[in-house]
Amino acid sequence: MAGIKELRLRIKSVGSIKQITRAMEMVSSTKLRRFQDRAIASRPYSEEIAGLVSRLSSVLGDDMEDQPLFAPGAGDRTLVLLITSDRGLCGAFNTNLFRALETWLAGRDVSKHDFFVYGRKGAQYLASRGRNVTRFITDPPMEEIDYHNAALTGRMLTSEFAGGSYNDVFIGYSAFESMVKYVPQIAPFLPLTPEALGGGGEAPSEAIMEPDAKSIFESLVPRYLETRIYNSLLESLTSEYASRRFAMKNATDAADDMQKALKGVYNRKRQEGITKELLDIVGGTEAVK
Amino acid sequence: MAGPISLRVITPEAVALDTTCSSISFPTTDGSVGVLKDHAPMVAALGIGELQLRGDAGDSAMFIAGGFAEVRENVVRVVTDVSEPPTDIDVERASKAAERARARLETKESTEGEHLDVLRARASLARAIMRQQVASKYRR
Repeated sequence: MAGIKELRLRIKSVGSIKQITRAMEMVSSTKLRRFQDRAIASRPYSEEIAGLVSRLSSVLGDDMEDQPLFAPGAGDRTLVLLITSDRGLCGAFNTNLFRALETWLAGRDVSKHDFFVYGRKGAQYLASRGRNVTRFITDPPMEEIDYHNAALTGRMLTSEFAGGSYNDVFIGYSAFESMVKYVPQIAPFLPLTPEALGGGGEAPSEAIMEPDAKSIFESLVPRYLETRIYNSLLESLTSEYASRRFAMKNATDAADDMQKALKGVYNRKRQEGITKELLDIVGGTEAVK
Repeated sequence: MAGPISLRVITPEAVALDTTCSSISFPTTDGSVGVLKDHAPMVAALGIGELQLRGDAGDSAMFIAGGFAEVRENVVRVVTDVSEPPTDIDVERASKAAERARARLETKESTEGEHLDVLRARASLARAIMRQQVASKYRR
């Protein structure tokens, strides 16, 4: 019988792929939940910091513009922190971010951009394009990132900026909007602008400042930047797993459909074979009579 | 009745404490500050040390390191990087960290080494010593 054996093999292989994709879907679901919980848990902290920043910046008023991180850097280069994923099989998650990056880069002088990268996919992409990757952050692996490590990265970016060879710093990441919507974006990180800090919050002018508003603000700003990095990382990871879960669900469904279609063909062929054999037998007995 | 002041200790990982109490004291960069009911609004940069609170349920304490405290209308919000109840402090790790920091300071200070490293070692020594103090005070 032509093809019936091959058909059986294909049905089997589609079935095992389906098992794998279903397992990956399940793994992504649990990881997604974990990162979502962490994102929710970190929210009060970043809200509190952002609130303090905005309240203090209205106390400081115009003095704020003298702060070192508020003026464009001395250099003429641009630093971009790109947050991607380590692994593939997550739909268009990385591709969308790369596309957004290319659109953003169009019209800019690419040779004046340096990159810090999270995630192997991003490093591979930038390397293949011949972009200038200054640092590829692999330690710790993306999934084990905690606030402390995000803070280190934040400090690294800030000191690069303060070092004087950069004009500004951006973060490219996928913002998590909903389970099915992740918005790739390149957001300005440094220099800070009073608008970005949400200045104009209610001014607690009568509040006691210990030691004084300026020094509190100075130690507050680095923390604010750290929370931005941490949140971007968490959002990117959440988006990645949401995207992967979605992609794997689609793959499982497609495998299901394919298996059904193949089974149909297989059964028809099998039936055909049986009918033919039956006809042969009947024909044979007729001839013997 | 619950205490007149509500206290929230917030870290990047979670809200570590959300309770009410009658008095709180925490370390700022310029020394310890106590807060009672109807305290004037205040924003303070926190130092390293022990956050103490007195409530109906008795007294309790927590090790904190760095961050900020905001007092407004009988609500105290402590935003800190590290907060550990005394029972969670890893004494062994703290004493090892203290040793390491001391060793680093000895080699650095004599040779007038890098400024930042000295600062870092000092901060880590301060943290380690405070951890040990808080732990030994509340554990037996």
